[in-house]
Amino acid sequence: MSAFAGTLMNSSADLVTRVCQGDADAFRLIFERYSRPVISFIYDMVNDRGLAEELTQETFVRAFRAIHTMRTETKLSTWLFGIARNVARESLRARARANSHVDLEDKSVMDLSDNKPVPVDGLLSKELNELIRRSLAALDEDKRLVFTLKVLHQCSYEEIAAITGFSLAKLKTDLHRARAEMRKRISPYAGVGYEV
Amino acid sequence: MKCEFCLELLEEYLDGELAVEDREQIDAHLITCSECSESFAALSAEQEIFARYDREIEVPPFLWTRVAAHTVSESNVAKRGWLPAVFRKASFASAIAVTLIVIAIGVVYLLSSNKTPEPKLAKSPSETPNPNPAPQSVPSVVPKHEVIAAGPRPKLRAKPTTPTPDQSDVLSSDPGYLDMDDQDTANHIEQSKLLLRSIKNVAIADNDDEVDVTYDKALSRRLLNENVVLRRDAEMKAKFPTKTLLADLEPFLIDIANLPDRARAEDVRVIKERVQKTEIVAALVDYQDRGTNNR
Repeated sequence: MSAFAGTLMNSSADLVTRVCQGDADAFRLIFERYSRPVISFIYDMVNDRGLAEELTQETFVRAFRAIHTMRTETKLSTWLFGIARNVARESLRARARANSHVDLEDKSVMDLSDNKPVPVDGLLSKELNELIRRSLAALDEDKRLVFTLKVLHQCSYEEIAAITGFSLAKLKTDLHRARAEMRKRISPYAGVGYEV
Repeated sequence: MKCEFCLELLEEYLDGELAVEDREQIDAHLITCSECSESFAALSAEQEIFARYDREIEVPPFLWTRVAAHTVSESNVAKRGWLPAVFRKASFASAIAVTLIVIAIGVVYLLSSNKTPEPKLAKSPSETPNPNPAPQSVPSVVPKHEVIAAGPRPKLRAKPTTPTPDQSDVLSSDPGYLDMDDQDTANHIEQSKLLLRSIKNVAIADNDDEVDVTYDKALSRRLLNENVVLRRDAEMKAKFPTKTLLADLEPFLIDIANLPDRARAEDVRVIKERVQKTEIVAALVDYQDRGTNNR
């Protein structure tokens, strides 16, 4: 019991060192700690549950094989999200854009009700989830990426820049536009009339 | 501060990304400006909506098994050989040194074996000298599959009538034979069939609390690893019957691989019954009977 409690106290840096030394348990702890945010992030990007599972597997396999190359000053979560982002991007590129892209004017994005503005409290949580999911899918890849990392995963701008390789200026612009597009889609339901 | 400037920075303010000076200016402005304050409230409300987003996605329990099959399990397999361990732990220079020593020993050995008296035969013009004569006392090249696999594979044949290439040297495979993927799949199916039959036939008495499945579990882990790779290959090569069969097989391998060495009798019984009910063994046999032409 005490050994387990001790294991929980492991910092990410300790776990990385242990994995490099061949400690399989340490890698399992990394998986347990980060698999949920990673699968959520990938799901946000690819909008497909089964694919998100496969790509999460791929992310951790790649991470294991490259962990000895990870620089000590790099945050493990940022590094993993960077791999997940690459894996998701490769998958998205391989998929036909026509299937993955939902046009802004696509009625399926908006037609959750009869187009009457409905306060967000009036939406069932399932409907709200569906609305956000579809709206996310309608964003272009870069905007979806920065929006997901900032708004849904609360990463800092610095972390987003490290994960995506975007400049600060680009990520701010993309984030601002992504917010505006998301607002446009959810405002009929959320009653958010605010424009920036 | 002007409202225009405040609105421009409002998102960064909400994100907590502003420098202290700017943040303090906006703090002060929001207290005095009701319009900007309303904008900020709307932005915060929007953030709240996204904070409620529930993807309803969980990490499936089998995902770690799959990841482990390609990571820590593979790593353990590699550790079983002394040579990979030498190359892994030693520096690059040491690895080169070891390689050179091995080559030097080989050359010395070859030279010494060439000195042994042997009758000199006249070579006909059609005979070409073998550029890489392999001394008979040196074991032939270790087959690639034996290096990769967790342990020595039982030499099973998926189809006794099918001609199988000489596995002692993968380089000598004749393209006229089954391609290596089909051969691997056939071996995999055969071993999986034997594993499932073994589980199906395991004797569990009413008073048994536990069943020792150490061997089946280890075998299942290795087969699971192979199964994922072969299933993906089959999918990529549009071999859909193979892909479907391997996808059907995978849950059984996962369940067996996840059993403890001494599994609860009830857990084994459940898997055993599922093997019987789903007729997965019959599906594997049927696949073998149909041969490779349909794959």
